[in-house]
Amino acid sequence: MSKQAKKKKSTFSLALKRMFLGDRGEVDIFTEEQMQGPLRTIIKNFISNKIALTGLVIFLSIFLSCFILPIFFPLDLTHQDVTQQNIQPGFSMLAVPKKLANNAAMIDGGATFGVGIDKDGAFYSWGHMDNRLKAVPNNMGKLVQVSAGLNHILALNEKGELFTWGYNRLRLDKIPLELKMVKDIKQIEAGYQISFVLDEGGRLYYWGNENIISISAGKYQGQIDKIASNTTTVMALLKDGSVVALTNKETPFATVPAELERNAVDIASTDTSAAAVTRDGRVVVWGSDEDVKAIPEEIQGKAIAVSGGRAHFTALTSDGQVVSWGANNYKQSNAPAAANGAEQISCGYYQNYAIHPDGSVTTWGLEGYLMGTDGFGRDIFTRLISGGRLTMTIGAIAVIIATIIGVIIGGISGYYGGKVDNFLMRFAEIVNAIPFLPFAMILSTILGNSVSEMGRIAIIMVILGALTWPSLARLTRGQILAEREKEFVTAAKAMGVKEMAIIFRHILPNVITQIIVSTTLSFATSMLTESSLSFLGFGIIEPTPTWGNMLTGSQSSTVISEYWWRWVFPSIALGLSTISINLIGDGLRDAIDPRSNDR
Amino acid sequence: MLKYILKRLVYVAFVFFIISIIMFVLYKFVPGDPALMMIDSSKQNVDPVRFEQMYQAARERLGLDKPLPIQYISWITNMLTGDFGYSSQYRMPVKDMVSAPLINTLQMNLASMVLVFLISIPLGIVTAVRKNGIFDNTVQVASVVGYSLPGFVIALLCIFAFAVKLPIFPISGVNTAGITGTSMEIFLDKMHHMALPVIVTTLSSIGMITRYVRGAMIDVLEMDYIRTARAKGLREKVVVYVHAFRNALIPIITIMTSWIVTLFSGSVVIERLFLWNGLGNVLYTALMQRDFMVVLTMQMFYVVLALVGNLIMDLTYCLVDPRVKLEN
Repeated sequence: MSKQAKKKKSTFSLALKRMFLGDRGEVDIFTEEQMQGPLRTIIKNFISNKIALTGLVIFLSIFLSCFILPIFFPLDLTHQDVTQQNIQPGFSMLAVPKKLANNAAMIDGGATFGVGIDKDGAFYSWGHMDNRLKAVPNNMGKLVQVSAGLNHILALNEKGELFTWGYNRLRLDKIPLELKMVKDIKQIEAGYQISFVLDEGGRLYYWGNENIISISAGKYQGQIDKIASNTTTVMALLKDGSVVALTNKETPFATVPAELERNAVDIASTDTSAAAVTRDGRVVVWGSDEDVKAIPEEIQGKAIAVSGGRAHFTALTSDGQVVSWGANNYKQSNAPAAANGAEQISCGYYQNYAIHPDGSVTTWGLEGYLMGTDGFGRDIFTRLISGGRLTMTIGAIAVIIATIIGVIIGGISGYYGGKVDNFLMRFAEIVNAIPFLPFAMILSTILGNSVSEMGRIAIIMVILGALTWPSLARLTRGQILAEREKEFVTAAKAMGVKEMAIIFRHILPNVITQIIVSTTLSFATSMLTESSLSFLGFGIIEPTPTWGNMLTGSQSSTVISEYWWRWVFPSIALGLSTISINLIGDGLRDAIDPRSNDR
Repeated sequence: MLKYILKRLVYVAFVFFIISIIMFVLYKFVPGDPALMMIDSSKQNVDPVRFEQMYQAARERLGLDKPLPIQYISWITNMLTGDFGYSSQYRMPVKDMVSAPLINTLQMNLASMVLVFLISIPLGIVTAVRKNGIFDNTVQVASVVGYSLPGFVIALLCIFAFAVKLPIFPISGVNTAGITGTSMEIFLDKMHHMALPVIVTTLSSIGMITRYVRGAMIDVLEMDYIRTARAKGLREKVVVYVHAFRNALIPIITIMTSWIVTLFSGSVVIERLFLWNGLGNVLYTALMQRDFMVVLTMQMFYVVLALVGNLIMDLTYCLVDPRVKLEN
């Protein structure tokens, strides 16, 4: 439609409006003419492009997740946990079956699962279990005790018969012959690849992996009342109320505080510390873990029982109060008010169970992992969001570096032309001739070896930026070549504007849209390159996560088929981001240059 | 024509020397003393005088006692005469070490190149002709996904689909370990191993190339001479495949050449993933083992590849389009 016709129509409608609605005063010429600035046209075009808009929404949500969520889910770079390796996504670790949750008699937590028996002696289990753990023996009869270890389960029925299943190496799946004779079993304990059985006479029996835990119970045999084990030691409470470590080795546990001499009623241990409750209700903690030494004051003098997880303790007081303290990385120390009034407490590695007198169960602690864990027991979700933040930051800064170099060189080259142009473009050609990935690998090996983690990140950004500018320089040069003969440049020259100001303040704003499109598209390329480098081990290296290095080592068929969550989630994150960035870039290009819609 | 080729050759040689100087200087920055690595460093404490003698001898043998420019000249002369130095990791001349990987890489990349050409050019033409149709839009969306996904993600998906879920192809390697049989059987076994890397490389390049071919074709199809050709009553096939395609070749050749260069350098990731014993894998292990003579050779190989690629691109321009001015 021609301008004339448009104007006619609007005048006509204006006349109509005035006839029926009355005169509302002079209408602004811009409203009447429906004029639009170029920026508004671009925005309007972009918004009308559904695909590009979808890309923008996806990218923004990934971007915001990666920059906001790490505040709530901070990443602990040093955290690793062998007991939490390769756990599939899910939140079943505290999912106590309904039948048990109303009628529980005893519950014990393992590394990633829990077991329990109800008041009728029936067995229940929940959480992340492999097939061997799921193979519950038949006809166990009425169970009276049950215990879960790292990856095996031990159960005792009312006739004094023992059952064990789960991990089947190190003879852990067989009950030793000597125990067939023992009928008066007092306590069973499944530990870290080891099983313990304590009889009423105070004798301790154990079998399994004795290489990890060195046990020497000899001189205390016959006096033991209760044991507590962790990955390195076994602590024993003797019948006279003393606490001893059943080991010959010098461990932080071996030096038991003197006040516990003939004075303890209950013991528990975490991985690196031990706790005991004295006869007067005080809790004493010793060992090398400083976190758990901050015992809450309100329980001192009232405590009656204590239970230990992997890095936290939970205590029960005589008035039924339940308190947890220690590490809180999985919220295992946030004992809820509902737990108060409990009769029994029990801790898994990161789980807590409080059983009330009526058999109901309150749980708190680690429920599971949204995206599972990797081969080092690290939560993939927190690594994914922190890694995304780093991947995007590196990509963005690399692109900014490349844009600055490219625009300056392209601008100067395009404006001056001649020898300068020739020299700069030859230079760009040389940089472009260097094959990118191998050269980046070499540079990263040479430069990045002796520097800190931050230095390495900076070096990767600079390498990426310094090797990708030529295409941008060529684009800027071409655009500026086209603009520099126009009248406004001549006018600026005539007014005596400095040449640098002409290039960067007068010409550049006219070509900036093209540069923005190109920058958007190279942002995606930059992220991909960083990921490839990190994937190969020449970019950002472990333990700092990026989407690229999270995929390192996932090409083995075991990981691909068994531990799908280890490669699917980083791949989806990386793929979605680059696809959405490319969609945004394409959409922007179409919006700026509607003619290119056809391409 | 001859003058033009000569001019280009001189330019290529110039760039080659510039890059080789950069590489050489970089190589000199590498931490670690090659002379120290050659001799038994445990002697240092036992007999310092003897050690110093051995160390100087080693330096002399490696030419490290001479000033840098002379070292560079002797290195580049050796390089140009085909003596690429000695691999400290494999204990053999680099030249002998890289020949088998070179053949492997060439085979793999040539196979994927042929596949990409065969698929993306017809696909690009067809989508350009049926612009904005359902088929075109589907291909457009698929190609965005294809060129946005990094090669290793496509590789993981392919391994999952074709090696784990449907065990058709072996997951890694060049040959079945300890295979014996006729040369035909060995060849087939190698092809079987090569299939998955080739599929992955093809999938990750096809999207970009198809888009370029489509774009170039659309530009050409809007030209006046195409309208003329149609007005003359030429068959549509002739218009598209003879008149239009020939004119779209220039941008296609440009992108193809730069793609072939990236194909070779990008195959580091694919070769590493599939443990394909090619040049990329050689570069990877050499970097890991600090075998820098191999690294340097590899790097120069990639540079030569890029330069030759550019030269061939320039020359093909003249062949496919007589309008290209040779003087510039």
